[in-house]
Amino acid sequence: MGDLLSNLSLGFGVALSLQNLFLAFLGCLVGTLIGVLPGVGPIATIAMLLPITFGFDPTGALIMLAGIYYGAQYGGSTTAILVNIPGEATSVVTALDGHEMARQGRAGVALGIAAIGSFFAGTVATIVIAALGAPLTGLALIFGPTEYFSLMVMGLVFAVVLARGSILKAVAMILVGVLLSTVGLDLETGEERMTFGLPFLSDGIDFAVLAMGIFGIAEIMRNLDHTEHREVVRQAIGRLLPNKEDFKQSYKPVLRGTFIGALLGILPGNGAVLGPFASYTLEKKIAKDPRRFGRGAIEGVAGPESANNAGAQTSFIPLLTLGIPPNAVMALMVGAMTIHGIIPGPQVMTKNPNLFWGMIASMWIGNLMLLVINLPMIGVWVRLLKVPYRMLFPAILMFCCIGIYSVNSLPTDVMFIALFGLVGYTLIKLGFEPAPMLLGFVLGKLMEENLRRALILSRGSLSTFIDHPISASLLAVAAILLIVALLPSIRRGRDEVFTE
Amino acid sequence: MSTPREGSGSSERRGPVRAPQGVAGGILLIALAALALWLTRDLDQGTLNAMGPAMLPRWLAIGVGLSGLALIVFAFIRDGEPLERWSLRGPFFIIVAILAFAVTIRPFSFGPLAIPGLGLVAAGPLAIIIGGYATPEARFRDLLILSLSLTPFCMLLFGDLLNLPIPVFPQELAGLFPAGWSQRAILRVTAVVMAAAAVAVFFATRGPRNRTIDVADHSGRI
Repeated sequence: MGDLLSNLSLGFGVALSLQNLFLAFLGCLVGTLIGVLPGVGPIATIAMLLPITFGFDPTGALIMLAGIYYGAQYGGSTTAILVNIPGEATSVVTALDGHEMARQGRAGVALGIAAIGSFFAGTVATIVIAALGAPLTGLALIFGPTEYFSLMVMGLVFAVVLARGSILKAVAMILVGVLLSTVGLDLETGEERMTFGLPFLSDGIDFAVLAMGIFGIAEIMRNLDHTEHREVVRQAIGRLLPNKEDFKQSYKPVLRGTFIGALLGILPGNGAVLGPFASYTLEKKIAKDPRRFGRGAIEGVAGPESANNAGAQTSFIPLLTLGIPPNAVMALMVGAMTIHGIIPGPQVMTKNPNLFWGMIASMWIGNLMLLVINLPMIGVWVRLLKVPYRMLFPAILMFCCIGIYSVNSLPTDVMFIALFGLVGYTLIKLGFEPAPMLLGFVLGKLMEENLRRALILSRGSLSTFIDHPISASLLAVAAILLIVALLPSIRRGRDEVFTE
Repeated sequence: MSTPREGSGSSERRGPVRAPQGVAGGILLIALAALALWLTRDLDQGTLNAMGPAMLPRWLAIGVGLSGLALIVFAFIRDGEPLERWSLRGPFFIIVAILAFAVTIRPFSFGPLAIPGLGLVAAGPLAIIIGGYATPEARFRDLLILSLSLTPFCMLLFGDLLNLPIPVFPQELAGLFPAGWSQRAILRVTAVVMAAAAVAVFFATRGPRNRTIDVADHSGRI
């Protein structure tokens, strides 16, 4: 406990420096901005802004990028409540009851409880990260290549189970992702693999390029297919602070949502997305009168909003302690860390305590800033929602081009985002979800490395993955999960959760 | 690109194909797997004890191919999604815009074709204006103003403030300025000129009726 306090005070010392405060604020502001704007996600934004962070020290860079991610969770709820379009994927369920509240003239209360719930969840998640950081890092040190490989297999299985739509398609996407990661020079023999003899492919496909193409450009193409109707609520937003009655109704959902979100966020394989859905389903199940849901129940806003913010933050845990990115945003964080010469993994905490604890402390400060950015400044964001998409997407397009060009100064990179954009659009049109592919791509290199090492250590015997107890139990969890997800009854339940 | 009209006529779900989207997806996966297998054909697979470069890609490709096959098989057994309507306008203009940016940002030569490096000052507006036409609601005036105001903003932010290694203007432009001027000064002057142009366009074309552009909008979709 004393350790925790001294570590946290070290962190706050770092995070409260003038530069880091400014960067946290900037990150939160940009995050809220893209969260509010539908059609711009944190993945494309972080990929765009990666080159900007070259000039900062690594701590400041990561503080800013992290701010974008959890800031987007706050901003997404604003759009969901006022326009009935989820600004982010994680605020889909907020739109159900939040927008209904807004139509009843209680927009302010919905926004207020969303922000307060998010802040509470963010505070708890910060403490969870700080408390779990040290023990999990210890765990990571006893992991060998065999265990690492099995852990990543489990993460990918989670990603399959948590993906929307067909499980078969998700499996295919993961395999394609891992396959893409093997493009480039072979690590051990130095032979070129699947490069078409092109020199710029010999280092492999750049992750930022792939992510920007699939999440930035393909998103624009997809959004253009649907002519959107944005109906910003006309009623006055009303008072922002919930009254006593509202608090009484929503404090339990906030607690439950935080717990669920934090728990799911830790899971490798993008559990953070599931948090709000799980929380909404739970609140509806245990409510005395479930019919109120969908008609402006405050619990339906409080729970999911807390869950998504908690999940967004705890998803940093696998990255910071084990070095395994659980989702695409964290994969970009890996990119940002490697650019600054930091190898993500258990050694971050011991070698760069300033970075580790500074980042954690900055999350709490960031959450406090977000409360200010979102509530009193709500009018600014509402006005922003009136910018039509036809003016917005050319700007995003240019930012994407500039961003990706600045990473390596290569025009071929810019062309590749067009190619991957087209690939991503095709995949979306054929009902494939690109997120698992990106995760497979990210984990692919690490997996191959660890697989080879494990097999060399065991002299080519595959049974090594079952002989090591930790590895065996991780694989068992993965197998059970996959079987359970394939059972017809559970599948129906899973579909329900996602369609609700 | 995979064929958008795969399994034609099955949209009424009467033919043997019950999930056209699955068939198209399966064909795509199998094609991808075949490509990967073909590309790794000359590489050594090695043994489990000492894995060669081709081991993992080859097995992954087989896995991808099998998933594709399974998707196709399921498409005949179970009902599924029909193919969505594809619009070509959006992807076409977006891709052309990105390519225009890529070839103009710095000197580019492709075979006999050589394009001088024009820098952000030309590549930015090109990307915005071409890309803007991806939607049938595009209006030239709005896009022009957007490009003339956003480009100088980006020039100042990325080129001046953040010092990113991005070419901002063509070297020919530097010749127009007095010899003593630094790159930064030229950048700033250019940015100011562009911003002023944006303001000028805004006020000059603010006529009472410039809604005529709207008329052509509705037939634009392909």
